[in-house]
Amino acid sequence: MNKKVLAVVSREFLTRAKTKGFIIGTLIFPLMLVLIFGGIFIFSMLFKPASRTYYVVDQTGKIYDEFVRMLPDTLKNGQLKYQLIKQDVQANDLKNTLTEYQELVRKKKIDGYLVIPENIVDSTKASYSAKNVSDFDMERDFGRALSRIVANIRLENIGLSPEIIRREMNMGNVRLVSRQVTETGEVEKSGVSSFILTYFLTYIMLLMIMIYGATLMRSVIEEKSQRITETIISSIKPIELMVGKIIGICGLGLTQLILMGAIILAIVHFGEPLLVKMGVNIPELLQIIRQIDFSPAVFIFMILFFLMGFVFFASLFAAVGAMVTSEDEGQQYQMPLVFLVLISYFIMFSVAKNPETPMALWTSLIPFFTPLVMFARITVSDPMLPSGAIISIFTMLLSTILLIWLVAKIYRVGILMYGKKASFKEAIKWIRYK
Amino acid sequence: MNVLKVENISKSFGNLKAVDQVSFEIEEGVSFGLLGPNGAGKTTTIRMITNIIIPDSGRISILNNGDFSTTSNYLGYLPEERGLYRKMKVGELLFFLAKLKTMNRNEARKEIDYWLERLELMEWKKKKVEELSKGMQQKLQFIGTILHQPKLLILDEPFMGLDPINTNLIKDIMLELKEAGTTIIFSTHLMENAEKLCDEIFLINKGRNVLSGKLSDVKKRFGRENVIIEFDGDDGFLKTSAHIKKFDNYGNYAEIQLHNNADPQKLLAEAMKVVRIRKFEIKEPSLNEIFIETVGKN
Repeated sequence: MNKKVLAVVSREFLTRAKTKGFIIGTLIFPLMLVLIFGGIFIFSMLFKPASRTYYVVDQTGKIYDEFVRMLPDTLKNGQLKYQLIKQDVQANDLKNTLTEYQELVRKKKIDGYLVIPENIVDSTKASYSAKNVSDFDMERDFGRALSRIVANIRLENIGLSPEIIRREMNMGNVRLVSRQVTETGEVEKSGVSSFILTYFLTYIMLLMIMIYGATLMRSVIEEKSQRITETIISSIKPIELMVGKIIGICGLGLTQLILMGAIILAIVHFGEPLLVKMGVNIPELLQIIRQIDFSPAVFIFMILFFLMGFVFFASLFAAVGAMVTSEDEGQQYQMPLVFLVLISYFIMFSVAKNPETPMALWTSLIPFFTPLVMFARITVSDPMLPSGAIISIFTMLLSTILLIWLVAKIYRVGILMYGKKASFKEAIKWIRYK
Repeated sequence: MNVLKVENISKSFGNLKAVDQVSFEIEEGVSFGLLGPNGAGKTTTIRMITNIIIPDSGRISILNNGDFSTTSNYLGYLPEERGLYRKMKVGELLFFLAKLKTMNRNEARKEIDYWLERLELMEWKKKKVEELSKGMQQKLQFIGTILHQPKLLILDEPFMGLDPINTNLIKDIMLELKEAGTTIIFSTHLMENAEKLCDEIFLINKGRNVLSGKLSDVKKRFGRENVIIEFDGDDGFLKTSAHIKKFDNYGNYAEIQLHNNADPQKLLAEAMKVVRIRKFEIKEPSLNEIFIETVGKN
């Protein structure tokens, strides 16, 4: 690259990369991830369940053994999760005994006690008392075990075999597997998770284009309003200056995007084994990781479409910057651009659900919409390429080059126009200037 | 050697002819005053030389080279509309300007330190531009203009906004650079400065050249010589002398305008016969007078 352009690129990049705002913006995503994962990890360590002791008063005399058999969960140290101690209590003594148990609970000798009434099969009610009754795990486990025992008894009572019924019900459980047809066959893929990923990635792309597009515009306006242009332009051609600015500021967005993509990719590939190795066995977390369909191909397309989309919109933002004289005017003039980017985001929503309709194809070939819409189609179709993907890259490149050529003419004239903002009509006139 | 050659350049903005068929050549080591009233077309001319705007017609070559990407490295331009990146640090800004002129890194660092020291800005090197006073920013911008040792230095109103001490500092550096062979185009509407600093002048008005040449030649060519005379005695000779075109008489002091081609020595001889001379001064027209007369006539 031309040395002068390189000087502009490094100035635009470095002066901004050193600011607190950029550093925070870059680190916020990894930090969030560290906080979330670290938080889950730390909490699971802090709140290690301890073995708990419960008294069980089984007035039926038949349920206790089965109940213990159904709660065999042990802790890591080999102790039973629930120490269930059977208490034989005479019916007339019950009230007094329970008062004693309450005292034991208060003194923390036991964690709680469960009373299984004699008529549990009919009433389907049992009572459980403890100091802390918000332990969902325990409530769920106890409830499930009792329900199952009672249901079995009730089935037997009407002459049905619980084993057979349960076996049949288990066998009849249908799991719906969603598979995506690809070039080479089929792959298993969850619909919901790939949508969430698509929305997330296109949203990030949209943010990057708008944030750094506006940054570029402000940078152009600064040179105009601070009267820097003439000093610079006597050393470098306007188009070189513009290209240098676009590349430099693009580098900022690219840095953040690559960092983020690399982190997601690393989590997808190394997250699960690493967590398991660290001894974190939280099924929900591992499930989330397993569901992220972020392939290296999607990563590469994300970078490619960001680059094309950024350069395309950035040159328009540069034109706006060259046409106005202050940031306030710039805010107004950039509105059509912001709308264009937002519209492509809305189109993306419907296109991501039906990526192969003619409407999806044609909108993704319009240069204003290509970056977000075509990228969304690529992400939901991955590992297959949607129709028109390769063509869209060419049309995008071609229209970007054409746009830069046009914008450079507006830019060249605009950056030396002090004092008054230009109308769109004037800007069109500038294109025809020699 | 010709450092700059401008041939018949013209530029119009809409119906306004800003520059109309202007031509000149500047030799190496010359300080060239591009003069004219406000709105005469000075800045437009300079912007064409610096390739900021392209002439509608005509040709410009710097160091016999018409390719701006090469010649821009030999060019130092201090525009009238000046400004710097306010958020950059002084040292980084100068380094950026040096890189824009494709200057070598080490040399750039050396020159930056030399000039910051020379213009008493060294302690501000790590400060942001916006922390500097207006005068310091002016000096900073001047450094940015000469850092890369340009062969052709174009200064548009370089003393604007400078106090007398800094004006002298800059003026000394300009003369020093000129001694070292730098060609300087100096644009101003303040004739006192131009008179002291320029070897050649080029006066434009309403986009056209109205007067040009070596400063001494211009004054001579202007053809009008004034004489100031202080005397004791009868002032009657003022009315009778054939050499005198016009005079202001104050009794024993008179300002006299001679006829074209009249010899002041003859007037002196004539006067000595009738009065006692205390002072006899041949006064060249000042650039200011030439300026006012030329532009006023236009």
